[in-house]
Amino acid sequence: MSTNWLEVQYKDVIAALVLILIVFIAPLAISDRFYLNLMFLVFLFAGLSSAWNLLGGYAGQFSLGHTAFFGIGAYTSTLFYNYAGLTPWIGMLVGVMISMTLAYLISYSVFRLRGVFFAMATVAMGETVRVLLLWGRSKIDIPYGLSIDYKPAISNMIFSEPRTYATLAGLFMLLVALVCYLLTNSRVGYYLRALRDNEDAAQSVGIDLRRYKLIAFLMSAGFTSVGGTLMAQYVLYIEPSSVFNVTISIDLALMTIMGGIGTILGPLIGALITIPLQEFLKDWLSPFGVGAHLVVYAAILILIVMLLPEGVVGAWRNFRIKAIKGDPRA
Amino acid sequence: METTIQLLISGILLGGIYALAAMGLNLIFGVAKVVNFAHGEFLMIGMYAAYWIAKLFGINPYWSAPLVFVLGAFVGVLFYLGLIRFTIYKTELTQVFATLGVAILLQNLALMAFSADYLSLQVFSSKNSSIQLFGSYLSTTRVMSFIFAVVVVLLVMLFLKKTYMGKAIDAVSQDLSAARLVGINIDKVFIVAFALGIGLTALAGGVLIPSFYAFPTVGSSFVLISFVVVVLGGLGNIPGTVAGGFLLGVLETIVGYLEPDLKEGTYFVLLILLLTFMPNGLFGIKGAEKEGLK
Repeated sequence: MSTNWLEVQYKDVIAALVLILIVFIAPLAISDRFYLNLMFLVFLFAGLSSAWNLLGGYAGQFSLGHTAFFGIGAYTSTLFYNYAGLTPWIGMLVGVMISMTLAYLISYSVFRLRGVFFAMATVAMGETVRVLLLWGRSKIDIPYGLSIDYKPAISNMIFSEPRTYATLAGLFMLLVALVCYLLTNSRVGYYLRALRDNEDAAQSVGIDLRRYKLIAFLMSAGFTSVGGTLMAQYVLYIEPSSVFNVTISIDLALMTIMGGIGTILGPLIGALITIPLQEFLKDWLSPFGVGAHLVVYAAILILIVMLLPEGVVGAWRNFRIKAIKGDPRA
Repeated sequence: METTIQLLISGILLGGIYALAAMGLNLIFGVAKVVNFAHGEFLMIGMYAAYWIAKLFGINPYWSAPLVFVLGAFVGVLFYLGLIRFTIYKTELTQVFATLGVAILLQNLALMAFSADYLSLQVFSSKNSSIQLFGSYLSTTRVMSFIFAVVVVLLVMLFLKKTYMGKAIDAVSQDLSAARLVGINIDKVFIVAFALGIGLTALAGGVLIPSFYAFPTVGSSFVLISFVVVVLGGLGNIPGTVAGGFLLGVLETIVGYLEPDLKEGTYFVLLILLLTFMPNGLFGIKGAEKEGLK
């Protein structure tokens, strides 16, 4: 057991170093705008999917409402910056507080639900926030879309170099991945996986279900909100139909599942596969019509959840187990 | 007072449509215990089917409804045989995301085939576009959809109560193992339930096309509405779905009158409140505990 533990540690250090090197070297090595954009999106969504994974993978609660936190992050920092001149760095933290408050309040409702009911209730949460925003917008007279003036400065979180954005998103990814790593080997992480695998059994050994699910939910919501602010500062334009779009919630879930739900590397691998896949499919299949790339993407998704529900990481793990122990069915 | 009556009547008309749209979702949930996230997309297929039948052959959507039903039933059987059959014994994750995948697939196929344009069909001339009832003016297309909804709902209830297959469907929704034990052919029941469920959903889309626009993502709002209606009336409870539809229709119409921008929020907030305080709906849910409601 102890040798095993050491082995894991050693591998983890290598993996962490590789990740850190990628985040710091890759943006410098590339100058093509297309690839830098792709890299920013991969890093950002790797971080966001990892945040989704905190709740969906570790606690087993499939949220389809994370776009609410993403949108709150994007809107809070932008509104404070545009109307009060508050730096987005602080606005980002305010967004985190609001997102966490929403997560805390809604947890009283959604934690009573499991499976598809949890998913549906979270969809409703996301849509409610969007509708409320549209309603509030018409009352206090702010435009439908908000653009942020391009004034590059560190304090404005606006950069003239696209690679700075890529590095920033990379740091965000590293931070969420680090939290996932610490969680995996902590008491809270074990509790979460126990309640994910069997709520009743977990409760019967004295795990406070609500408390631990809430911890995962708050962290997940907070990080998703940070991702929303980063996206707003990168695109410099937000509108309700883009940042409160339910497809964001779905994408986060899909990337996590494709890579391997409930694992640290899964969401990162999922984002690394999904984002370029979407971009290239869009490029290759554009002659066939507007939605062609999403048709193929959806077909791939269906095949993955049917054939490899544990994702790339799970498939690799099973392959390794088979290679070491032989086929258990043989 | 006059406004109140007008609101109530339009709400009830809308509710009938919601009940019809939600019926298929509930039927399939009852039997297979699968929440079909692609439900709205089958409604969208029905809308486009009725639209093109009307455009190409000049058949009015109310007359082509049986045809749209058959088409939907066929799609439903394919959906069951091609996908659902393999997901039923898999984890929740597979069930949720496989049907979600189908939803994205169908939305984008529609986008490729019909572009993102909003299509509408005018069935009645402007002279006949509204009728007067109890002193209030009502849209003829809404009234027609409502009549269709009532007739179809009654037919479905009759089918479930009176025929062998209907009773078998009811039995399987109540207890799958017991139903199998008494010799009901489960596979057949599943196929019939999916044919009927998706057929009804497509039919609902078909009779909605004269009063709602058809566009590729029209289904995503209907899946949530249907879900609210089903939960409101109780999962697996068909008469409950009808009551749920009426309630939601009236509520949405009233909210829409008072605060138009919040209309869409009605069903979202209602869903959250309902799942929190009354997860059993108005009339109770069979096997709710097993399905994730406590």
